[in-house]
Amino acid sequence: MTTQTAGRRAVTLPRVLASEWTKTAGLASTLWVPVTTVLVAVAIPLGLTMFARPGDGTTAAGLVVSGVVLAQLGTLVLGVLVGTSDHATSTAATTYTAVPRRLPVLVAQVVLTTALALVTAAVALGAAVLATGPGRQAAGLDLDLAAEDGTARAFVGYVLYPTAVALLGLGLGAVLRRPAGALVTGVAVLVVLDQVLAANPGRATDTVRVLLPGVGTRVVETDARLALTESASLGPHLGAWGAGLVLAAWVVGLLVAAAVRLWRGDVT
Amino acid sequence: MSAASASAASAQSATRAPAATTRRGPTLPRLVASEWTKLVSLRSTLWTAAVTVAVAFTFTYLSANASSGDPGFDPARSLPDGVALSQLGTLVLGVLAGTADFRTGAFRSTFTAAPRRGRVLAARTVATAGVGAVVALLAVVATVLGVVPAARSRDMSVDLAGGSAPQVLLGSWLMLLGMALLGLGIGSLLRRTVPAMVAALALVFVLPVGISLGAEMAMSPTEMMAESPAGPASLDPVSTVTAFLPGDAAFRMTTTADDGGVDGAPDLGPWGGGLVFAAWIVLPLAGATLRLRTRDVT
Amino acid sequence: MIQVEALTKRYGTTTAVDGLSFSALPGTVTGFLGPNGAGKSTTMRLIVGLERPTSGTATVDGHRYADLPAPLHSVGVMLDARSVHPGRTAYRHLLAHARTHGISKARVREVIEMTGLESVARRRAGTFSLGMGQRLGIATALLGDPQTLILDEPVNGLDPDGVLWVRRLVRDLAAEGRTVLLSSHLMHELALCADRVVIIGKGRLLADAPVQEIVDRSAGGSLEEAYLELTAGSVEYRGRAADGTSASGGPR
Repeated sequence: MTTQTAGRRAVTLPRVLASEWTKTAGLASTLWVPVTTVLVAVAIPLGLTMFARPGDGTTAAGLVVSGVVLAQLGTLVLGVLVGTSDHATSTAATTYTAVPRRLPVLVAQVVLTTALALVTAAVALGAAVLATGPGRQAAGLDLDLAAEDGTARAFVGYVLYPTAVALLGLGLGAVLRRPAGALVTGVAVLVVLDQVLAANPGRATDTVRVLLPGVGTRVVETDARLALTESASLGPHLGAWGAGLVLAAWVVGLLVAAAVRLWRGDVT
Repeated sequence: MSAASASAASAQSATRAPAATTRRGPTLPRLVASEWTKLVSLRSTLWTAAVTVAVAFTFTYLSANASSGDPGFDPARSLPDGVALSQLGTLVLGVLAGTADFRTGAFRSTFTAAPRRGRVLAARTVATAGVGAVVALLAVVATVLGVVPAARSRDMSVDLAGGSAPQVLLGSWLMLLGMALLGLGIGSLLRRTVPAMVAALALVFVLPVGISLGAEMAMSPTEMMAESPAGPASLDPVSTVTAFLPGDAAFRMTTTADDGGVDGAPDLGPWGGGLVFAAWIVLPLAGATLRLRTRDVT
Repeated sequence: MIQVEALTKRYGTTTAVDGLSFSALPGTVTGFLGPNGAGKSTTMRLIVGLERPTSGTATVDGHRYADLPAPLHSVGVMLDARSVHPGRTAYRHLLAHARTHGISKARVREVIEMTGLESVARRRAGTFSLGMGQRLGIATALLGDPQTLILDEPVNGLDPDGVLWVRRLVRDLAAEGRTVLLSSHLMHELALCADRVVIIGKGRLLADAPVQEIVDRSAGGSLEEAYLELTAGSVEYRGRAADGTSASGGPR
């Protein structure tokens, strides 16, 4: 039976992590969201290879990463689901009576979301490479990771960017506590607002676009494409990693806000 | 009735006899009134409506102000800029209207009051169309108010009756209303908030961007800068596909017939865009009706 | 042992709990009574740290809940049977809870057996009836073999067999020296298993005494009568009988 060990903390971070994983692993969405994300992220490159012909300007690297916009929606959903699960289903009472210090749960959720998103994005990348293989070969496009054109960085970015977006979703979910609100805000800020601003090019709109989290997609662009994107923009030129930092700032800001809300308020 | 039970019934003076009315039960007008009440009392309806109108005003105002310095400034041209973002609001309004009953378990009381389920969905569609029409109208008025300051600063009057303005305004109104109905259809079909929201957002906003941006990413920039080899009649597969998605089709309604649409895509024209949009709206609603009629509601 | 002192909780302009003070002692079953909306559930949530009090303190064994090194081993709480994710199986729900404290799978199986859930343990909680959900809530509370138990309406929705089982369980736990705080609306049942009752109304303490004393105080000689008399002024929601008289029988 269990023994009462007075003074020694029973609720350690590894245990909370094990608990959060047990909670997530039992849900159908934990399987379906990543699987759908991978399928969707592969569908775009696959579709594009059908229209690629030798010499029409398609690049191998660009083709493989072309599904990133849709992939980010999948990982956003992943993060939102983890972040809102306790509140949307009223299981907060169970979770926080076991872990009354509260913050370890958020930390565990960050670790879990990062792991799930990294795996999903990595699998999506691998699948995109494999699925576009035949098409690329037919069009004479070879994938050269050692090339100096930023291909390697684009691939690393393809795994990191959706992971950061997943954490963005977690932060939004943990702050807003409603899945619908978190999803709409995430999509609005990542995609819709960016598109609306893009339709009105100008210094002001381009600057705002650079400060939105969606600017992180620049990490996934090859050097040549990145140069084009930046030259077309009248806003500040941050480079690929600068863009990544903007997204990181958003993520950190939201997670801090989530931690404050969790610590100071009520959980039920 | 036997004599004994008849006297027992008359002895129960405390129980009231049912009131005699000409027509009892859930008629369509009553169902519409009920669905309207439910929809309008949702906090999310008020929220999304307010955000829709506020965003419509703000973006039109900003856009008009930004371009008011340009030589060829036409206030009417800035009108659609406001609704581009605010359509997110009416779409979300519709999705939440479609999932509300199922999200909360209230569908049990709804369908026990009105067991003919197709009617309920029809009534809900009418109610959502009503609310959507009002919100869309307020948003369109907000866009007009948004261009007024910029127009004033250039001593131009905002001519709502002339030129492209009437069609742009009507198209914007229809787009916002249609998005609410599209959301309703998706919400009613999928019933659960997260899948319905993801599907709606993906279909209307993320998919077109994902496809076109993806195609751009796949291209080497030097080729992009070069002129398209074929003439204006050539069709680019990416643009063609996105032209038939609900987002672009609906937006075509807000541009004039001679606007030409997007390069590389068949020009549907405002009417064609409207028809394609309408088809997208009918599809999930029909699916939802089928699901209601043929499956158990649990 | 549970000690609540001058506990107050305000939500904006509403005061849910108002300067409440009482104790629940080891070896006793303390009944927690009050009309709907009196603040019983809020008080329980405040005791286990789910909500932060506006003022006042609530301690278990002299410590704030959050300061306990192993909360589940000190306090077992059952608040709302709906606190289970509908997509999760009962077993997995308990396992996840157990893992936070490193409690073994054997113990999880043990509480499943204790609460009679063996046949439905691998079913999704969303498919559970009210009674099954209640049993799962009780299983969750018992998981850490705690010294203190806080149960919010545990017999709600249970069949007579289940009601008897809870009564015996609760009395056995108290006989072992544990502290039991349980809220209920079943007066006759509570009179059979509680030693003391704490009655609150509109967030304030109305009575805190042994059951027998409360019963003796009342005109009718039953806990129900005593309760109705004490809470007459604090009832939030009063219905009307079909013939227009008030729910307690007399004219309005």
